[in-house]
Amino acid sequence: MPDFSLSAEQESLRDMARKFARTEMAPHAAECDRTARFPEEIYRKAYDLGLMNLNVPAEYGGSGLGVFDQCLIVEELAHACGGMTTSVIANCLALEPILLGGSPEQKERFLKPFCADYHFASFCLTEPSGGSDAGGLTTRARREGDHYILDGEKCFITNAPHASLYTVFATIDPSLRSKGITAFVVPRNAAGLSPGKDEEKMGHRASSTSTVRFDGVRVPVEDRLGEEGGGFSIAMRTLDQTRTPIGALATGIAQAALDHAAAYSLKRQSFGKPISQHQAIQIKLANMAQAVHAARLLTWHAAWTIDRGGKGTLESSIAKCFASDAALHVADEAIQTFGGYGYMKEYPVEKLLRDAKLTQIYEGANEIQRTVIARELLRPYA
Amino acid sequence: MEIVVCIKPVPEAETRLRVAPGGQTLDAEGVKFVLAGYDESALEQALLLKESVPGSKVHVVSYGPPPRTEEVLRAAIALGADLATWVEAPAGTAGDPIVAARALAGAISSVPHDLVLCGKQAGDDEAGLVPPALGELLSIPDFGSVAELRWDPSLARFKFLRSTDAGGERWEAPTPCVIGLQQAWNDPRTAKLPNILKSRKAPIAKRPADPSNPGPRSVPTTFELPPPRTGARMIEYKTPEEAAQKLVRILREEAKVFP
Repeated sequence: MPDFSLSAEQESLRDMARKFARTEMAPHAAECDRTARFPEEIYRKAYDLGLMNLNVPAEYGGSGLGVFDQCLIVEELAHACGGMTTSVIANCLALEPILLGGSPEQKERFLKPFCADYHFASFCLTEPSGGSDAGGLTTRARREGDHYILDGEKCFITNAPHASLYTVFATIDPSLRSKGITAFVVPRNAAGLSPGKDEEKMGHRASSTSTVRFDGVRVPVEDRLGEEGGGFSIAMRTLDQTRTPIGALATGIAQAALDHAAAYSLKRQSFGKPISQHQAIQIKLANMAQAVHAARLLTWHAAWTIDRGGKGTLESSIAKCFASDAALHVADEAIQTFGGYGYMKEYPVEKLLRDAKLTQIYEGANEIQRTVIARELLRPYA
Repeated sequence: MEIVVCIKPVPEAETRLRVAPGGQTLDAEGVKFVLAGYDESALEQALLLKESVPGSKVHVVSYGPPPRTEEVLRAAIALGADLATWVEAPAGTAGDPIVAARALAGAISSVPHDLVLCGKQAGDDEAGLVPPALGELLSIPDFGSVAELRWDPSLARFKFLRSTDAGGERWEAPTPCVIGLQQAWNDPRTAKLPNILKSRKAPIAKRPADPSNPGPRSVPTTFELPPPRTGARMIEYKTPEEAAQKLVRILREEAKVFP
């Protein structure tokens, strides 16, 4: 019999994340959204509590959680603020290539000092000319003796202005397409590496996003992850691991939208009674609740599949795609439930719509997720 | 310093309590029990003392039924307690404060204790009887409603403030003693994720309930939930000044809060 109950340990992890989200993050969410402030004091506390390097094994100083447990935590954090959550979990994305492609010596050398203190890392794949066509990236890596020289530009890089470590995907030969892509670890102080200025974003405004330029950055051969040309596989396998927590992040935003709408519907009066007693609103809330519940279960199922050793490509694409579409829809309906107030920045729901939008775009746009889903589902029929 | 902290699992503050059929107990079905309120502050105080007095140990002790008692002990270990003892409660007896105090005293008397810390009362029944009963049963001084507790190593005494309705009293106390703490003046910490994981595997000493511990001398006849609140009244207004004037009028003329 499949078991949907959480263990006592999982409940403890979720409770702790919920407490942190509600007491430390939520009170500052509106202000950070308004001013686009990167709340270092909150991120430092998140680090101190072990919430920042969730996927790194304990032997390297991380929290060593499986994908399911990460999802429980990420949903709770995102309930308070999607933007802060993006910055808190960005290390998981940036460090996963080292976990998947790094040698034991590289893991020891990069992860241990990184996790021993409060640090950010950034995952540098997307380029100004495109993100979805990762095989077509143009940042060059030219071999010169025992070094590579990196030249090019990455964009939309989470936490880049604050990062001390970057995992970078560059090509040794663009004509090789995905077979030329190679992964590197580059420290912030490498000469020629320069993050750009913070982008002004629609949502996730407590998070920081910028370009990263590489102008003749010299990277020692020993800082290459895996083989030459092995980078594309590392990037794709990384996203297979981190896509599901984005489903959890979207679920957290959606749950927050439902919570706000349900609470508001009980106290807002129209035609002499609370709007929760009008069928129009009841139907809305019921549909929102279905979307949130389905998003959570799809996310849990994808996480469970991966934690049992499955690749989970199909399941995680379904979860991420469905949950992010659900988050946008539920946030939209929450605004509609609030009516004119929902459109006002004084109320919390318009932020949820802006935050939800990004979950359809980042870590693989939903169009790419659907392409992947179609490819995977057609396989048995071919 | 050997610090014993007595903790009690209580329903989470947001829980909607229901009275069980028969009216003499609360329905525990679906209720989440947590380490909360006064006890959380007491544990925080113990951890602060441990950090300020080298070589100290914090030992949490709880009396109650499974699984809630084990869960609050694990929560305390995740927060930094070194040792945990669970005195198992036979079904139906956990609620009585004197029965609980006897069970706790039995456990405490068999372990080193320079200080026994409690919340001054439990977060659920708020009886406030366990700390003084522990003092009596262990034959050591006890103090309630304590805040600002610290250890003075030069005097080898505790110094603290006792708040009363009339003001404050400054006290000094020797070891060992029982201290019941006020709530939420020391900003209890949050458990770190790796410590939560470790706490799941930490040993918990189990102690069967003492069969010679007599049952409660008193039992409640019935439980009642508070009556539902009557509806709030909305003030119609155009300006904040008008709202304030109307509110003051209602408070003065109807609620008679002030003349």
